[in-house]
Amino acid sequence: MRKAKTRWRITILLLALALAAAACSEGESVDVGEETTTTTTAATTETTAAPEGTTEAPAETTAAPAPAEAVLIAAQGSEPDQLDPHMTSAYASFQVLENVYDTLVQPAADLSMEPALAESWEISDDNLTWTFTLRSGVKFHNGRDLVAQDVVYSFERIIAEGLNGWRFGAVDTISAPDDATVVMTLTQPSPNLLVSIAGFKGMAIIPEEIVTDGSIGTSPVGTGPFRFVSQSPDQGIVLEKNPDYWRAGEGLPKLDGIQFVQIPDAGTKLTALRTGEVHWIDTVPPQDIESLSGEDGVTVGRVPGGDYHYFALNQNLPPFDDVRVRQAIAHAINREEIAEAAQFGAATANQAAIPASNAAWYLDYAPFGSGDAATAQGLLDEAGVSGLTIDFLVSSDFPETVTQAQVISAELAAVGITVEITDVDFTTWLDMQGNGEFGAFMLSWIGNIDPDDFYYAQHHSDGGFNFQGYSNPDVDALLDGARVETDQAARKALYDQAAQLIVDDASYIYLYNPDNINAWRNEVSGYATRGDNAIRFVEASLG
Amino acid sequence: MSGFLVKRILQMLLALFGVSIVVFALMHLVPGDPVRVALGTRFDQDLYDALRERAGLDQPLIQQYLSWLGGVLTGDLGVSFRNGQPVTTLILERLPATITLALAALFIALVVALPAGIISAVRSGSGLDYTVSAASQVGISMPDFWAGVMYILIFSLTLGWLPSSGYSPLSEGVVEWARHLILPALTIGLISGSIITRFVRSAVLEALNQDYVLTARAKGLSEWQIVRRHVLPNAWIPIVTVVGLQLGFLLGGVVVTEVIFAWPGLGRLALTAVKDRDFTVLQGAVLYIAFMFLAINLIVDIIYARLDPRVRVS
Repeated sequence: MRKAKTRWRITILLLALALAAAACSEGESVDVGEETTTTTTAATTETTAAPEGTTEAPAETTAAPAPAEAVLIAAQGSEPDQLDPHMTSAYASFQVLENVYDTLVQPAADLSMEPALAESWEISDDNLTWTFTLRSGVKFHNGRDLVAQDVVYSFERIIAEGLNGWRFGAVDTISAPDDATVVMTLTQPSPNLLVSIAGFKGMAIIPEEIVTDGSIGTSPVGTGPFRFVSQSPDQGIVLEKNPDYWRAGEGLPKLDGIQFVQIPDAGTKLTALRTGEVHWIDTVPPQDIESLSGEDGVTVGRVPGGDYHYFALNQNLPPFDDVRVRQAIAHAINREEIAEAAQFGAATANQAAIPASNAAWYLDYAPFGSGDAATAQGLLDEAGVSGLTIDFLVSSDFPETVTQAQVISAELAAVGITVEITDVDFTTWLDMQGNGEFGAFMLSWIGNIDPDDFYYAQHHSDGGFNFQGYSNPDVDALLDGARVETDQAARKALYDQAAQLIVDDASYIYLYNPDNINAWRNEVSGYATRGDNAIRFVEASLG
Repeated sequence: MSGFLVKRILQMLLALFGVSIVVFALMHLVPGDPVRVALGTRFDQDLYDALRERAGLDQPLIQQYLSWLGGVLTGDLGVSFRNGQPVTTLILERLPATITLALAALFIALVVALPAGIISAVRSGSGLDYTVSAASQVGISMPDFWAGVMYILIFSLTLGWLPSSGYSPLSEGVVEWARHLILPALTIGLISGSIITRFVRSAVLEALNQDYVLTARAKGLSEWQIVRRHVLPNAWIPIVTVVGLQLGFLLGGVVVTEVIFAWPGLGRLALTAVKDRDFTVLQGAVLYIAFMFLAINLIVDIIYARLDPRVRVS
């Protein structure tokens, strides 16, 4: 008996030790403001926003004092990799940074460029000198005034860090003649300069001191509506209202803070919205859009997006070097069917890249059939190709590419083409694509505004993303010309011609433009889903 | 005992060294690297080469390995390629959630498995035994990605009793801590418990069939006295072994459950590191997981010696 007791004691002691170790290292608390807002995700939701329309809200168990603070809880599907706007390429990071940083100018809701840190700008007659006048009284979150030298510093850093340096391809010099003026000289006219240097928060204006002290990656300091407070695996990323925001005169921002939590599973994220644990989610699985749209208490924001889905055949490999083979495939597929299968209809089929919602640059052009097996077979016969097999590279990190490849596989079977799907993780995908190890690859391009974003890197012979091996001197000339054409109508005409050639040559076989979709609880107002997928909470409020 | 300990610790270090080579080699053999991931679709060969050089990835592999190993020996696991944060910090800040979930799950597992396993062995062949066997079969067959989602649907969405996701540290209050912990702990606890139940049952059953049990019966001891004094002491070893293995597995992070419940544990850290080819973070995480496994094995061995003098002799 005695021995048995000793054994139990050992076991219990070990368990107790382990528990104590766990308890000792429990994470630090997070202060959202001066008040006791050190609550958990669920508790904050319950106290700040009683969900309407749902009786199941787990509200009765907390005895936490009700903080008067309006903190919006936003759920993201993936984790921001880092918070240095110039170094990250992760959309999850930009969802947060959009609310912390500002750019010189910024895309408005209709994606035209509007003033931000620069309240005005002038272009010289030769189109080679741009002079920006900064807004006065703008302060960084550390209290220091924004000066023109900060803009120069930020742009020089972006160029030096490399990731977005290509956006300054046409920029010769950047200078700050006085504290309120930034002058950029160009080597050639650049009608899309504003989109290039301020189209997204990767072009953020930062204070040099947070680079010097190394805190930029973990503790960003910007000029935006919200200040960074903390980041931890438990609490996610916490932001608080910036009382010195340059639009404070308009009563902005309205929220007292934002808490970004990361919920990787799409189903759990959706449940968290339905139960009211979070106020906003960054995406809705396509198959749930319809059911969610009909629910009380929840709003689904859905706008046509600027993204496009496509696939490209490897033109360095026969028989894909024969344009007739590529055109045959473009005829044989059914884009409506593909969009329906992959996005449950939350998309618009398109044989070209630019969506109709981008009114300034849209071109209605659809030379191919839809599931037109007869035309496709004719083209294949003409090219003398039969029994073709395509090694089709997709990534399950983007599950819609797998679905789309399966649909395409079934559609191409009608013309005797076999599709062998290679499904790898995205990093491997990038590697295989870079090494040309594919018959076809499928992906999407996101966040495009200017037509140069849509075509140059992808279809110019010297384009950085021209992995399909497309080269058409006429297209090169048109794209080069359009880059420096300052007359909007003339520029549009050049891009229209280029787009028709690119579509006709089936350099990319375009599929559709997906909708941008967020969802939020009805107590959130002043937020709207945007065409460029930027997540802006500056005008949002709760209650 | 001390000679045994020294020998075991040396073995452990050797195993860790082996693990470090394997994980390093594997990470560098799979296609892709963190620079490629960071550049994503804006790939440019010159920029790629420049960034690789800056990150030290252009060095020969053996040199990269040695400089990393040198750091590890001085307690420095390096910094993440992804965000420049020290790997040690990244692992440590996820340990509380990982350990909490592991111990809670193990607790649930033992509370279920010990009584169920013992009773079904003692009442072997009875209706109760069949019920336990069937239930544990269901538990083992139930994948965590399904069970977790079901719990969320039932307890969060339909009943609204418990939060669907997230972690609340103990320092924020016991109630919230427990509310967030219950569903993920139940998800893996019941699976672990089902596995352990089967081991407990077979260990107890085997001991029950020994001659000394017959002798004890002949002495006129009651069935429960036999179980307590003769059967359990001999059944502990296999039970402790499987419990140790389960704990080692749980402390390494349970990826699927962590993803479903947005639990900020090591499994998610490792998963993200694999996706982003964040070599240093993954190497650090795997090294930690291997260390936990080996350390628990060592503890299990020490417990063996306490439980069964015969182990000490050999």
